[in-house]
Amino acid sequence: MTALATRPDSQQTEQDPRDPELRLAQLFDPDSMTPLHPRDASGVYAVQGRIDGATVIAYCTDGTKMGGAMGTEGCRHIVEAIDTAVRRRCPVIGLWHSGGARLAEGVEALDAVGQVFAAMIRASGKVPQISVVLGPAAGGAAYGPALTDVVIMAPTGRVFVTGPDVVRSVTGEEIDQDGLGGAEAHGKKSGVVHVVAADEPDAYRRARHLTGLFARPGLFDLHSVQTEQDLRALLPETARRAYDVKPVIRGILDTDTDEASDFQEFQAKWAPNVVTGLGRLGGRTVGVIANNPLRKGGCLDSLSAEKAARFVRMCDSFGIPLLVMVDVPGYLPGVGQEWGGVVRRGAKLLHAFGEAVVPRVTLVTRKSYGGAYIAMNARSLGATTVFAWPEAEVAVMGAKAAVGILHRKALAAAPDDEREALQDKLAEEHQRVAGGVDRAKSIGVVDEVIEPSQTRRRIAEALAAAPAGCGAHGNIPL
Amino acid sequence: MAEEIRAEMVANVMSVVVQDGDTVHDGDSLFVLESMKMEIPVLTEVNGKVDRIVVNEGDVVQEGDLLALLE
Repeated sequence: MTALATRPDSQQTEQDPRDPELRLAQLFDPDSMTPLHPRDASGVYAVQGRIDGATVIAYCTDGTKMGGAMGTEGCRHIVEAIDTAVRRRCPVIGLWHSGGARLAEGVEALDAVGQVFAAMIRASGKVPQISVVLGPAAGGAAYGPALTDVVIMAPTGRVFVTGPDVVRSVTGEEIDQDGLGGAEAHGKKSGVVHVVAADEPDAYRRARHLTGLFARPGLFDLHSVQTEQDLRALLPETARRAYDVKPVIRGILDTDTDEASDFQEFQAKWAPNVVTGLGRLGGRTVGVIANNPLRKGGCLDSLSAEKAARFVRMCDSFGIPLLVMVDVPGYLPGVGQEWGGVVRRGAKLLHAFGEAVVPRVTLVTRKSYGGAYIAMNARSLGATTVFAWPEAEVAVMGAKAAVGILHRKALAAAPDDEREALQDKLAEEHQRVAGGVDRAKSIGVVDEVIEPSQTRRRIAEALAAAPAGCGAHGNIPL
Repeated sequence: MAEEIRAEMVANVMSVVVQDGDTVHDGDSLFVLESMKMEIPVLTEVNGKVDRIVVNEGDVVQEGDLLALLE
């Protein structure tokens, strides 16, 4: 069998940009592709190649043949590609441009698409699966990407179960393909897409970057984390004021090297009150989960708990250590939240952290209150180490709110002009006895108060010192 | 098309930062809401002009309530 890999620049003018060989060539290192099967009319092309030197399997639905519709032959190629990746213990990437199952093949095509799903589920948590949606991924082809670990979408990507015509005829809703299943719909509204790319080349670049983070996790180099930066300066003076947590995340992770160590956020615009993503710390791939006070004050709610839960389970299944950054005022109250399943979905996050065997270090930067305190990888859920910055608060609720409940009668009995002063005094007392980081430290739920400038080093040391682990479970799309 | 700025959560309107007719850019703060003992800015994700502000300081807004229209 001859290598069919061609450099895109030599034939670009003659080839259809949807040609799978052309697309796959943009994903892989130059001249590194070897086909897994001869090219045929199946509508799928699968290859093995290298990304930054690491072996990777990839398949691409052929947008030039019947719009990439999935038939029995094509599905067989995908199943073989995924099973091969599992045998070789390497990542598998799917490039998607498909209108769904081949109608002409009837129920046989449905059976074949189901077998693709079954292969993805078999591989779940064993090897990283990345999907890049470049065109339509409709019907059966929508659930393919959704079953994988990471979904990257180019601006031309469209993911939906039923297209605008069916939607219109059944519900009367008028919407175009982009509105129904484009980057705005899935990057912000549904959360189906983890990474929205600027264009098709950017989608390949991000797929390569993520593949590197998974396939070449590296080892902690503790010499490289000695740099000191006063990260506390990135937070506002006033404890009540919101701020963006992302500069703090970047301050802890590696940034001084090449783009390969950049922090890649997942689902940036969906449930943005929690930030999840992969980056490197001391050269080692780590997963970050952080409350973002800029959005909803950093409160956990049902969607953000679900988002974080799936991310934790993905990292655990691939042995990626976790950094959990906590600044959380609590769970978001409300009828909508309760009826929307904040208990059911919040339980997923508790379960995800509780079962995780990867090293997982918690850092309380400012405050950690109530049920959200537990959900953000508390000691009781098995955190490897819990650090706090000086002046951080760990409590059931803020001291002033707490005495408002505990001393309700005394406060009500106090004269109007003295009530505020009394509450402040009681709060101070309460803080000393029940709140504050010292109390948390004395009972062992916070291990150590660290200087913000030494955060990078201390977290890297704590993660590196813990025994490596890898959760024995799949990555169900929670 | 008009861009609707809505409240992300139940909150008190602490301050209205912009005025009708102001030009705003992606990332600008339009309001500051108070909820869960936190001061939380409401940011725009688009560039535009403030067409109409529909809440006042001191108002209580529910999740999803309209705060302003941008054009």
